[in-house]
Amino acid sequence: MSQEYDLTLKVSRYNPDIRRSWIQVYRLKAGRILRFVDLFQKINDEQDSTLAWRSSCEHGQCGTCGIRINGKPLLSCELLVEDAVRLFKTQTFTVEPLTVAPVTRDLVIDMEKAYEQVHFVKPYIIQPAPEHPEGDEYRISPRELEAYVEATRCINCFCCVAACVTQKNYLGPNAVLANIVRLMDPREMAKQERMDILYSEQGTPRCRTARACSFVCPKEIDIAHFIASAKEGNLK
Amino acid sequence: MGSKLQIDSILRPEVLVIGAGGAGLRCAAEICERRQDTSVVVVTKVYSPQKSHTAAAQGGMAAVDPNDPVDKVLYHMFDTWKGSDCSSDQNIIKKVCESAWEQILWLERRGMHFSRTEEGRIAKRPFGGHMLNFGEVKAFRACYEADRTGKGIMDTVWAESLKHGVVSLNQSVATELLFRNGRCIGAIVFMEQNGKFVAVLAKATVMATGGKTRMYQVSSNCRQNTGDGLALMLQAGLPVMDLEAVQFHPTGIVGPGILASEALRGEGGILRNKDDEPFMERYAPTAKDLAPRDLVSRCIMTEIREGRGCIHADHKLPHVWLDLRHLPEHIHKTRIQEVCSFFCRFVGVEPQSQLCPVTPTAHYQMGGAPTNEFGEVQRDAQQIVPGLYACGEFAAASLHGHNRLGTNSLLELITMGKVVGKRVSAYLDEAEDPGNLPQDAGQHIFGQFSDYLETQGRGRYSEIRDDLRILMTAKVGVFRNEQILREAIERLKELKERAGEIELTSKSLVMNQSLVQLWELHHLLDVSMVIASGALSRKESRGAHYREDYPERSSEFQYHTLAYMTEFGEVTLGRRPIDMSIFEARGEHYEKFGIIERKY
Ligand SMILES: Cc1cc2nc3c(=O)[nH]c(=O)nc-3n(C[C@H](O)[C@H](O)[C@H](O)COP(=O)(O)OP(=O)(O)OC[C@H]3O[C@@H](n4cnc5c(N)ncnc54)[C@H](O)[C@@H]3O)c2cc1C
Ligand code: SF4
Ligand code: SF4
Ligand code: FES
Repeated sequence: MSQEYDLTLKVSRYNPDIRRSWIQVYRLKAGRILRFVDLFQKINDEQDSTLAWRSSCEHGQCGTCGIRINGKPLLSCELLVEDAVRLFKTQTFTVEPLTVAPVTRDLVIDMEKAYEQVHFVKPYIIQPAPEHPEGDEYRISPRELEAYVEATRCINCFCCVAACVTQKNYLGPNAVLANIVRLMDPREMAKQERMDILYSEQGTPRCRTARACSFVCPKEIDIAHFIASAKEGNLK
Repeated sequence: MGSKLQIDSILRPEVLVIGAGGAGLRCAAEICERRQDTSVVVVTKVYSPQKSHTAAAQGGMAAVDPNDPVDKVLYHMFDTWKGSDCSSDQNIIKKVCESAWEQILWLERRGMHFSRTEEGRIAKRPFGGHMLNFGEVKAFRACYEADRTGKGIMDTVWAESLKHGVVSLNQSVATELLFRNGRCIGAIVFMEQNGKFVAVLAKATVMATGGKTRMYQVSSNCRQNTGDGLALMLQAGLPVMDLEAVQFHPTGIVGPGILASEALRGEGGILRNKDDEPFMERYAPTAKDLAPRDLVSRCIMTEIREGRGCIHADHKLPHVWLDLRHLPEHIHKTRIQEVCSFFCRFVGVEPQSQLCPVTPTAHYQMGGAPTNEFGEVQRDAQQIVPGLYACGEFAAASLHGHNRLGTNSLLELITMGKVVGKRVSAYLDEAEDPGNLPQDAGQHIFGQFSDYLETQGRGRYSEIRDDLRILMTAKVGVFRNEQILREAIERLKELKERAGEIELTSKSLVMNQSLVQLWELHHLLDVSMVIASGALSRKESRGAHYREDYPERSSEFQYHTLAYMTEFGEVTLGRRPIDMSIFEARGEHYEKFGIIERKY
């Protein structure tokens, strides 16, 4: 039942102390339902304590552990060994950091700049709608919410940004999506400001609707669909 | 080596918030709403505050909607008191439960995407231990955002903090609290990305570092929950409270311990043993599967001990089953989609057609830094530490006593975060400037780091970490007794010694995770020692703290445990009385708030 795999991980490494990059090969045995974060821990424990990587919740909720396995951006805490073997039809994997930010050490990247794109679109409500006449919460029907609730599931893992075909001068799919959420949110009054962000030079005009983002999103959000609808002025 | 460690720069915000989860950022937002242009710096171990562990909370946040024709705040207060096994503080219960709905509205108006009813109002679901009419039938009291309520809260308070220009030091750890004449004036922060130390001097410091259960084998907590905040308190000679009260959530996914929210049972999920028996009916005839967590966890462990559990084929760990097969398609698709996907993804089970393997998982600390009702940290049962505040899971005011009800934690973060924000705002108006950097600032952490970097020895980090987890699970877990607790304390001393012999391969300060993990391991050991000592001294069973040799609650222990430890293993214990102001006020139904029986 609990099958073991012989795995080879070719990991991109970078040592900031001596500014050196190299590929390091680790060979290890692992059970079928270990996650890639477990593999990194196993490497730290058994072979090399210096390999730097990053995770937090370890069950796909926080978006800390985005990484590229055989070129594909994904969450390393969600990828099980047996699924990886099936998906990539191999037991040898290249492991690289996401390409969205400069490398600090090994698989750890400096996300400050990348996150600024999300800050830029103001993920809060800029100008709240007036209260409901009878007080308490705003009334939002389940159908109204349904139209954009998928987009609210984004965890800013930046996998889509790494996959996006437009790499320069673009807010990025996740930031555009965050703006779209508030465009569709009936509680947001600052629709014009949101439209300006959407159609700005770094906004949707840069998107080429290639859908690479939707294919990699671990939350299975059809980002490209939301962006395309926004482009057509057709958010509903 | 030691001479190389130095403070690189000094920041001087008005407020320092250590920990940028739901509690820390709710507090920061309150300060900024009250006092525009207040400079607030927050610190978090993760690379954006948005990644804090609050984002992983699933099920909901309790609040009695004043428009609800049947539910009452008084019932919520009663459930919280009863759930705590008569050891929470009634002034806090009152404060928190009464302001719950107002805080739901605060979140909703700032953009949280709550699930809705047909009328467009905030939807509610039942949760364990929350009942109508003083324990008669289950109440619909948990407001939720599908099964990602914590994420909704996290996103909202994080976005608010951006709006107010709160500055965040990310991927950074607070390593030492700074004091002058007994007043807290900030902390030393180590920034992992560049390996530099910053001194943050502030008029007010708020600690909101969250939980700490990574010393257990199966834990629902994130990697960063290593008890740093508690260790900093102990190092500063300050007390921690009720640490023996560790909540084991009954339904962790076997293996990684990922939480399978109580919402699954709230929606109708049923626990079964290996013979398919819905065993909770036997233990708690009224509340059944929605009995409080401590009780359900003990029932599961009893089933396992008495041979009615199963063994998982891959993880080789004992478990029982959670049955969700009978729930309607639309519930699977809309309300519990995220949590169910965990079973598919991490153990290859399809909850709509297969039974799900679950086991108790270390989940929550009811205790923490003792505070008064304003979130001011206490030095002992009488005095506070000026300038130092605490809120969230890190703090014990205490809303939860020895057992917390589901959905009451998110409620506490937001309500107490607000309370502390308000208190701090008032304090800022009169507080003096923190002054210059104290002469000896940083000496403690420089000493620790130098030791870690210079040690030559044979201790292996991973072995000690694993030994600690096995030890705490076996001897300071769901069931405890005098003998195994004494053994645990002796073994912890051994482990601490071995931890002092770990040699680091990399001596770099920049993003050296083995350095930070070693620092965290020491915290886990320190906090484990206090948990075990508190558990040994409490010769009774109360809430989540269960002693096989003293299975009943005892009036002799009707107090909070305060523990101090400046030298490892030298634990000094004290007491703090339990507030019973609702009972003493003798209002309507006051008798429900006496020392009551806890039956479900
Ligand atoms: C899986 C799961 C599900 C849950 N579901 C529910 C639920 O449905 N309802 C409910 O009421 N409760 C739930 N809880 C409990 C609740 O989510 C937590 O108690 C709560 O989120 C804690 O929030 P916090 O703000 O106190 O801490 P956290 O959100 O954990 O934030 C702590 C912050 O402190 C930082 N930090 C820690 N140490 C340091 C340091 N040394 N230096 C600097 N920063 C530091 C961290 O990086 C982080 O930013 C759940 C918990 C878990 C684990
Ligand atoms: S659809 Fe747009 S956002 Fe998505 S990958 Fe293509 S260019 Fe990028
Ligand atoms: S849209 Fe999807 S892939 Fe992109 S950041 Fe959000 S969760 Fe990640
Ligand atoms: S560690 Fe949180 S998503 Fe992977």
